[in-house]
Amino acid sequence: MRGVLRHITVALLVLSCSWTLLDGQSKGTFEVSHLSAISSGSADMAPVIMSDGILFCSNRKTNPFLTKKNLDGVRLFELWFAPFDGNGEPSSPRRFAPGLVNDANIGPASVTTDGNTLWFTRNLSEGRRLGRKQPNRLGIYTAKRSGSQWTDITPFEHNNPEYNLSYPYVSADGRYLFFCSDMPGGEGSYDIYMCENLEGQWSEPVNLGPEVNSSSAELHPFLHSSGRLYFASDRPGGKGGLDVWYSNLAYGSWTTPRALDEPVNSEADDFAFYAAQGGLQGYFTSNRRSFNDDIYSFSSTIIRWSACDTLQQNSYCYEFIEENALRQDTMKTGFRWEWDFGDGHRAVGITAEHCYAGPGVYDVTLDIVNLITGGIEKRQASYELEITDIEQPVITSPETVRAGETLILNAGATYLPGMNIERYYWNFGDETVATGLEVSKIYELPGKYNIQLIVSSKPDAGGVVREVCVCKDIEVSAK
Amino acid sequence: MKVTRKILPLFLFILYAVPAGMNAQEVPGPDENIPFLITFGKEGGVTSWGDDDFSQTFFFALPKDYKDPFYIRVYDPDTGGKTDELNNFWNTRMMYSIYGGKGCYTHEEANGISPTGNYKSGTLLATRTFGMDNKLDERWYTFGPFNPADGEYYPKFLSNIFKIVCDGISGDDGNLYRYAISRRPDANVPIDGANAFTYEYTFRMWNNNDTSFVSHIYPFIDSGCVYIQMRNFDWDDDGDFIVVSVERKGQVMPLSGDDVWETSRMPILEGEIGKSLDFRFYKKKGDLVRNNNVVISVQNQYGENLPFFSAPIGGVPVYKPRIKVVPKK
Repeated sequence: MRGVLRHITVALLVLSCSWTLLDGQSKGTFEVSHLSAISSGSADMAPVIMSDGILFCSNRKTNPFLTKKNLDGVRLFELWFAPFDGNGEPSSPRRFAPGLVNDANIGPASVTTDGNTLWFTRNLSEGRRLGRKQPNRLGIYTAKRSGSQWTDITPFEHNNPEYNLSYPYVSADGRYLFFCSDMPGGEGSYDIYMCENLEGQWSEPVNLGPEVNSSSAELHPFLHSSGRLYFASDRPGGKGGLDVWYSNLAYGSWTTPRALDEPVNSEADDFAFYAAQGGLQGYFTSNRRSFNDDIYSFSSTIIRWSACDTLQQNSYCYEFIEENALRQDTMKTGFRWEWDFGDGHRAVGITAEHCYAGPGVYDVTLDIVNLITGGIEKRQASYELEITDIEQPVITSPETVRAGETLILNAGATYLPGMNIERYYWNFGDETVATGLEVSKIYELPGKYNIQLIVSSKPDAGGVVREVCVCKDIEVSAK
Repeated sequence: MKVTRKILPLFLFILYAVPAGMNAQEVPGPDENIPFLITFGKEGGVTSWGDDDFSQTFFFALPKDYKDPFYIRVYDPDTGGKTDELNNFWNTRMMYSIYGGKGCYTHEEANGISPTGNYKSGTLLATRTFGMDNKLDERWYTFGPFNPADGEYYPKFLSNIFKIVCDGISGDDGNLYRYAISRRPDANVPIDGANAFTYEYTFRMWNNNDTSFVSHIYPFIDSGCVYIQMRNFDWDDDGDFIVVSVERKGQVMPLSGDDVWETSRMPILEGEIGKSLDFRFYKKKGDLVRNNNVVISVQNQYGENLPFFSAPIGGVPVYKPRIKVVPKK
């Protein structure tokens, strides 16, 4: 709650960093790093990627001789931009659009997909003391790009001095605006709202309802293109303070929110996630190191092979052909071919099919019966059939499962002779992973998921680890 | 020809009564499991007994390197007694004629399919006619000695060829007999590499109704053969006829009825070229067909007659099944 109050009272409403791909079903699937290159010792937060750098907000000193503060003497937040260096890492930041606002906090921002509209949060009043009974509330604004300048600053039509609107994020298609507000009628504290763009006009705000919102605060909404909504909340069930939660939009309803696991969430405040294209890396904000908020990067440690063999089904079924006879199968013959498959089963015919119970070595023999004399010519031909399983990791599971139901996956049928297996690593195809011989998985959304099972050996004498991968598609149907 | 003329007067027709030698180069051969050859006397021209032309021609091929004298022997050459087939009373005379020299084999009318024209081509080396003679019952009669050089040398076989023709010149009884070629006049001592063949086989089936008694003849399939046409006569629907080869486990072919020909065609497989086929004749179960005498010949697609060798060229063909296993998905 400490974090929530700070964010609200300081009016730095950080652009909600959406991150669709993190999932709470496994630990340790991401690595996080403190971005020291852009840390200031002040509060730095809410990074988003904009063209070739990071846009974030900070209340750092602007210069050694001048510090912008509000009329209460609190240092103001401003937008900063840290361009990527040649390695794609954020480098020394500079103030972003200094003339965008005067004597007010300007906070988390986001940019539309076309890069021409900036959505940001700021105090409704610039440089004016309104008195304690007239707090300077937050509103949402837009600015248009004009060359290298941002102009035409316009307040959002639903701003209201009676309550706060903050953390704007526009969906990639420009159709939906998500933000949070403490307007009356919500679930409590700050809730997430949504407006729909109807022929250029934004609809009335719609509370996302109790499926997403709670009596605690919900902040930093971010809708990923996959339909997963990420937000920050200090509701119970997280790691502590603000945590990142997510909910999926499925068939018009939001699924029950789930918290991301460590190391993204921690006992401190963790919020304002933003994932880059592909979702395997991005940024978020946390005060886990100190009282001040700092920006962290994350990258996926999830193992997923780009070329993974498709799981092959072991087949113990064979067709047996007496080739010489088959070439003359149209002739009238005075003989009958009788197969002994070596497992107690027999069949009659020039060709025959048989399925064995499993691997083994089978002595297949062919007897030929003279239909004229009734005599049996035993073992006219024989074939030693050795059946082995395919050398591969094996995923044993149902082919389909309903969303929300538990899917059990087992690797016990893995056949990798000579491999001293140390780990069974499962990639469920939705950026979640697990390890173990048998694992369970719950898919929340219908769809087709490609599951990879990656089996690793213990290091050999030379320290070499052998890895083998197979994959299998699972169809997840609607609940 | 000069040599032949010198040797011919030296020929003695010697009768030796010895049991049939099982290891000799006999006709029918051991692999054929045929009890007897048969030729009927031509009187009345009755073919329903199982002889279409009252004549049978066989050829003997001696390796060119074989230089010693040899003998052609006939088992039970007369007509009368235990092993022959009586019609009313014994009145039949059989003439055996042995030919060598140029044209005895290569003459276009020499193959004996139809005993007309110059089917007795070549140089007559020996001949004798037998009526009823109890002394010859179930005994061997020996022609020779012959000089191998008196045959017709046939390069393709690397052999000197001799021909023996048995004609039923009178009467209407059936003469059951066998041949042998031998190093010795008094016993059937085989000649290494020698063989016997014919282009029309007239023989007696076994007198039983047991399908385990199987007779064989072995036509040789030369290169260029695309299909063969088989003709069999007067089989009396006695049992089954199947063709076996190295690539053919057993193809059922039709058999003729009483006093009629049955003609059938069979394509030749690539692996059968240069090898012998095995014509198998199974006796019929149930009602016994007694004294069944039959005739068979084979032609290729050009109408050329194919030889039946008493000792099959390349050995008795054995069909070998080949197993292929295909995984099913």
